[in-house]
Amino acid sequence: MSALATTVLAPLAATAAILLLRRTPAMLALAGTAIGLAASLALLAGTFGGEHTVLTLPGLPGLPLRLLAEPLTAVLSVLVAGVGACVMIYAVGYMKDDPEPVRFFATMTFFLAAMQALVLAGDWLLLLAAWELIGLSSYLLIGFWYRRPGVPAAASRAFLYTRSADLGLYLAVFVLIGTHGGSVIDTSLAGGGPAALAVGLGLLAAAIGKSAQVPLQDWLQRAMAGPTPVSALLHSATLVAAGAILLIRSAPLLPPGALLATGLVGGVTTLITGLVALGEGDLKRLLAASTSSQYGLMLVAVGAGVPLAALAHLLAHATIKSTLFLGAGVFQHARGSTALDALHGAGREHRTVFAGFTLAALALAGIPPLSGFFSKDAVIAAALGSPYAPLLGPLALAGTLLTGAYLARALRILWRGDNRPRPLPGLAWMGTGFTILVALAAALGLAFPALEAAFPVGRLPETAGAQAAGLAAALAGLAAGWWIGGRRLLGPLLGWARRDFAVAGGLDRWILRPALVLAAACERLERKLYHAVLAIGRLGLRVAAAIRLGDERGIDALIFALVRGTVGLGRRLRALQSGLVHRELAITAAGTALLWIALLASAWP
Amino acid sequence: MSPELLLALLTGAALFGVGLYGALSQTNLVMIMMGVELILAGALVNLVAFWRFLHPESYPGQMFVLIVMTVMAVEMAVGFGVAIARFRARGSVEMEEARELKG
Repeated sequence: MSALATTVLAPLAATAAILLLRRTPAMLALAGTAIGLAASLALLAGTFGGEHTVLTLPGLPGLPLRLLAEPLTAVLSVLVAGVGACVMIYAVGYMKDDPEPVRFFATMTFFLAAMQALVLAGDWLLLLAAWELIGLSSYLLIGFWYRRPGVPAAASRAFLYTRSADLGLYLAVFVLIGTHGGSVIDTSLAGGGPAALAVGLGLLAAAIGKSAQVPLQDWLQRAMAGPTPVSALLHSATLVAAGAILLIRSAPLLPPGALLATGLVGGVTTLITGLVALGEGDLKRLLAASTSSQYGLMLVAVGAGVPLAALAHLLAHATIKSTLFLGAGVFQHARGSTALDALHGAGREHRTVFAGFTLAALALAGIPPLSGFFSKDAVIAAALGSPYAPLLGPLALAGTLLTGAYLARALRILWRGDNRPRPLPGLAWMGTGFTILVALAAALGLAFPALEAAFPVGRLPETAGAQAAGLAAALAGLAAGWWIGGRRLLGPLLGWARRDFAVAGGLDRWILRPALVLAAACERLERKLYHAVLAIGRLGLRVAAAIRLGDERGIDALIFALVRGTVGLGRRLRALQSGLVHRELAITAAGTALLWIALLASAWP
Repeated sequence: MSPELLLALLTGAALFGVGLYGALSQTNLVMIMMGVELILAGALVNLVAFWRFLHPESYPGQMFVLIVMTVMAVEMAVGFGVAIARFRARGSVEMEEARELKG
């Protein structure tokens, strides 16, 4: 079996094994994830050696399903498998006391398998299917603690937000298959076609939903209701990344209009969600808002026409954000809450975890030589070098500034305050996964040159000006966040930020209400149709009754009249037969005489 | 027309008239049948006279006479069979009492 298939099938097999055996789910999940990671590393080694592997599976007639290993997909696959493996190791500790590990690990491995299918998909149909599957499994995972209040609503909200945006992907894929006559992604990347803008905007809509961009960003913060490993996985390398991955892969076919829209959506999102994060009162929700903000930066890079920068930031952010979430999970276990008020001083209790958390936060803020520095500077350089630099450049820099500010604020809250050290169960497992991710988050930047080399087209843009500006923005943000604090920094904007700038209501106002109006109109239409159908039925009944009446009054009556006539005639004729021989003889004689007379009369000339 | 033929036809007509009167006036089945026999005999006389005096060379005329005689014989046989059965059952062959035979 090829490494390509193993990458997807190993986690899937783990899911099946967990569900069938129903014991030692954590070990089975670890094994499946590890095999998947090994396979995807082999895949990466192969593709960096210049080898492109395609696995064609039977699908729809004329539209076979394809798995594709090229540098981009292989890198993403390793990212998914790597982060997935670390999170899984962490989850072994995190879920130690949970009563339902079977369901948790089965869903997690299924999620990983679906995500691998998504990143490795070589045709639009498989991508679409995997896209739906990660939506489903994220719904299951966010709603894992479904008995807690608010959790089912959060899961449904996440599902419905992403699901409604998915319609854009459907539109784009159908148009692409229609115009290119096939579902192979590579061939449709040539772009062009009459409906290129519609395709681009459809893909953008799908990415907005999945990557939690304005105006559909608020499901992500509510999705914090799920277990922390789920958040770490959702936010870094899987669900939320899917939107950015989609845009990075389809970047070549986006026309200028769609690129501008992408950049603007990303820029606005990075600004708004950055401000939201600054005013947030819950550590995990702060990180969630930060995720939206960072994906906004990636969209800026895609919009600026440098998807490679977006990919670099995606990789860096995946490791960093999963690290941050895992650290937050440790603090959550320590204090039993994720509210920032409850976490005062939690960092001082677990100094090693806090050190890792800080390292990741600095990396995300963009402090050299950590990974975030390289990727973020590439994004800023791309934004400044793009045709839309006056629009995108300031937005990217503002996003960087805000990143520093809200991270510094979180670090300060975690560090300052009272501390009461307590032993924590499962810390060994959690620590292992966490440590690996910290190392990756710190050092991933060193791998970017190799990444550049693997992609024949394009380089990460790198200018001294962008680096200086980015670094200055990051340091300014960190300083402001540490010394001034989020609330004072926001000032009059605080109330707005708490309410998500009322943009989160965008779904309610722009999608939900029109949808309800549409539904009401459909309902009225359907009622009319229903009555019309009923009227047709009544008309049919009436016609049938008339026909029956015709049958009864017409044909039946005719037949019965004939019968009655025959019977009556017979009765009258029977009266002739009296049984009186003489009378009958006389009648015979008279008849014969009549015959005679007739004969004679006719014979007479 | 020869006088012999006229005589024969008159005889046949007389026989027919007597037979018809008998058949209509009598109530006894046997008497009625005898009237019918006379009617047929009148017809036979006519047939034979026409054959003998007008077409003596035509044999189908003779055949016709033979067939009528056969019919007479058969009619007598059936009629008397009915009369005997009726007499055995009811002790009478009066036709005024046999209306139920109409079925």
